[in-house]
Amino acid sequence: MTDGQRSPTSDGQIVVSGLTKQYKNVRAVNDLSFTVAPGRVTGFLGPNGAGKTTTLRMLLNLVTPTSGTATISGHRYADLSDPLRHVGAVLEASSAHKGRTGINHLRVICAAAGLPKQRADEVLALVGLSPAAKRKFKGYSLGMKQRLGIAAAMLGDPRVLILDEPANGLDPEGIRWMRGFLKNLAHEGRTVLVSSHLLSEMQLLADDVVIIAAGQLVRQGPVEQVLGSMAQSARVRVRTPQAEALTAALKAQSATIETDEQGVLLVAGVDAPTIGRAALAAGVELHELTTERPDLERVFLELTAGKAGIR
Amino acid sequence: MNLVRSELLKIRTTNTWWIFALISLPLWALTLLINWLQADALTSNNLGDLSAEEAAQVAAVASVDALSSNLFTTGQFFGLLIVMLLGIIVVTSEFFHQTVTTTFLTNPHRTAVMSAKLVAAGVLALLFWLVTTALNLVAGSAVLNAVGLDSQLGNDAAWRAIGLNLLAYLLWAVFGVGIGVLIRSQIGATVTGILLYLGGSIGAIFVIAILAERWGDWINNLQLLVPSLASSLMVAGADIPGNPPRWAGAAVLIGYAVVTGVVGTLLMRRRDIS
Ligand SMILES: Nc1ncnc2c1ncn2[C@@H]1O[C@H](COP(=O)(O)OP(=O)(O)O)[C@@H](O)[C@H]1O
Ligand SMILES: [Mg+2]
Repeated sequence: MTDGQRSPTSDGQIVVSGLTKQYKNVRAVNDLSFTVAPGRVTGFLGPNGAGKTTTLRMLLNLVTPTSGTATISGHRYADLSDPLRHVGAVLEASSAHKGRTGINHLRVICAAAGLPKQRADEVLALVGLSPAAKRKFKGYSLGMKQRLGIAAAMLGDPRVLILDEPANGLDPEGIRWMRGFLKNLAHEGRTVLVSSHLLSEMQLLADDVVIIAAGQLVRQGPVEQVLGSMAQSARVRVRTPQAEALTAALKAQSATIETDEQGVLLVAGVDAPTIGRAALAAGVELHELTTERPDLERVFLELTAGKAGIR
Repeated sequence: MNLVRSELLKIRTTNTWWIFALISLPLWALTLLINWLQADALTSNNLGDLSAEEAAQVAAVASVDALSSNLFTTGQFFGLLIVMLLGIIVVTSEFFHQTVTTTFLTNPHRTAVMSAKLVAAGVLALLFWLVTTALNLVAGSAVLNAVGLDSQLGNDAAWRAIGLNLLAYLLWAVFGVGIGVLIRSQIGATVTGILLYLGGSIGAIFVIAILAERWGDWINNLQLLVPSLASSLMVAGADIPGNPPRWAGAAVLIGYAVVTGVVGTLLMRRRDIS
């Protein structure tokens, strides 16, 4: 990337501020604010219907906000002088004319954006789609469609990449490819914002996460920090032949306890050393004492509990 | 300019345009046949007994000006339908194939994009007109010769009709784009367009004829308000007694095109693409 040539204002930062979208019956996005930093992959997470797509579309000037602003490098999308050279976006996998070939789809975009025609061939090679260049879009697999979308987004060699659920419908190999591709782009100093409801995927990909539910911000920050902020609710798995005695001892410490299988307690609210000391004091024998690392999936479900689902 | 190039490339890279061209050809041949038979009938003077008024009307359409104008604009009836449908597709295919997102990401200035679409539809209309007119000059001259007249290639009235025919093609293409914006569904817009064009003109002729019978001849002027009738009036080779003047047809048609074009663009500016 030729970051050095860019003006200081073209910092690649995305700023969403007080963004709200009221549809007839639904407040799809509700006073949402967050920032996305360049050089990192930011996962934009939320259950289905949380408002991710609506937010991204407002950011890209496709949907008009009811109130609030969304800027990229300090500009609204419509005010960017050369939007494709600054921002690449992949919104739907199926967004090409069924009867048009992949290469022609890209050439149409090149023509409109004033980009040289060869860029179409270059980006096809970049996403490994050159062999299918002259095939019609209707013959593409879902994975190929997704790659074509990414190719289109890369036409202008943009500083900022925005992808809406790019992993949808991809096979494991495709997902692995995408992960490597996006991480690499972030390494080059670009801003990468990826939405998903698949948290397992984000855990492997994202540096930062922005979590929303019911149109509102739930949490934002580096992945570890968001996980860390949930550490107090991390559970400890305890295996003991004297479950009743230990339960009684821990209840005194105001821990919450669930029983899993026979002789296994899942303890929340206290940490492992505290449990160990309580067991020692009560003369309870322990066979296992493990702090379960909270995974993003669980954090996410807890954070968005009660707000998920159909609205 | 880039946008217009892109829009034309969109059309060129799908099979829509040549499918429409293929459909147009037999329809053109059909209208040529009809025009030939009509020219033959009008020049052979055996139309039977006519009232004085009818005789004046026949004289007007049987004049060389009117005959040659009619022949050199052969194919207009279906040609206008075809370019209107192309105009519709220029817009609705973006929604049908969900490419409108990419289009507006590539250029977020929607007025510019819509203008490019209007221009591209106009260019298509121009091409259809060019090819049709080339065919008409050859075939029309042949028919004129066959009914015992000169080719009329130097006839001013005929050339005026050819020019107005171009105007009609352009306006109907713009009209189509407007319909496409108003009705985003590809099928819905196409069906509406066809009904408006065919049903509208046939129904209107019928209704207006009945009304004129009942309320008097001035009702005939209402046919101006029916776009397809206005356009055929506009390209008629000569003013026909009892019909509104040709310039009025042109004015009405331009009015329709401007309104649909502007309203379509304004709607597209405000619309959420989600
Ligand atoms: N064009 C629209 N009209 C009305 N409601 C909409 C529209 N688009 C989205 N919504 C509603 O807004 C909410 C958020 O949708 P969306 O942004 O697509 O969520 P996500 O992408 O996170 O799944 C949902 O309840 C959805 O039904
Ligand atoms: Mg979505």
